[in-house]
Amino acid sequence: MHWDKERIQSILPHREPFLFVDEIIEIDGTKRVVAVKNIKDNESFFEGHFPGRPIMPGVLIIEAMAQTSIILYCVCKPEIGKTHPNYYLGKVKAEFLSPALPGNRLILEAYNVKIIDEAGVVDALARIDDRIVAKANFVFGIKRNE
Amino acid sequence: MKNNYEEEVKTLVSEIIEIPVEKLMPDADFFKDLGVDSLKAIEIVAAFEKKYRIIIPERDIPNIRNLRQITEYTKHLKKV
Repeated sequence: MHWDKERIQSILPHREPFLFVDEIIEIDGTKRVVAVKNIKDNESFFEGHFPGRPIMPGVLIIEAMAQTSIILYCVCKPEIGKTHPNYYLGKVKAEFLSPALPGNRLILEAYNVKIIDEAGVVDALARIDDRIVAKANFVFGIKRNE
Repeated sequence: MKNNYEEEVKTLVSEIIEIPVEKLMPDADFFKDLGVDSLKAIEIVAAFEKKYRIIIPERDIPNIRNLRQITEYTKHLKKV
């Protein structure tokens, strides 16, 4: 199962420069989604974080995992996903274990803990090869368009 | 004297909804009386599923509205 950016953009409302999922490389039923963010040398956030010492900000790694979690939600709830509801984060618990740098291929994994129509709980991790960069737990809500 | 499971459930719910155990009445409605929203509700469900290794079907969630109901409901699932 492979999704390109066009298909990702048909689900996610995010756009450049705030789209942090480049491709989906694996979908394991409704249990897990694996995505990729290729961290380019010229990402706009590297200009300030930090000059001469580029490191992907932790909050953006969280954002990348959260965007992957939305895709997992839409795999579980395709009929709701099609309506392009509003997704909002309720709670995030995260830990950061190692840096993500220009040129890295950031693998994002989202695991279904519990997903219902109005909300979701997802465990996620970000890694580069086998090196874990961050882990997180998300609680998010879905507000359907009237 | 209440049994351990009831106390355990009360503590678990209390921690998630951030209401002290002593103020958590068995028949207080999660949504109307205790301010639980859909995000807190799914946190409670996920915490029960993880701790007791049970599955709470989505269709049943709206019917679990207070501490007494969640205690009885999950007690039943645990036996299965």
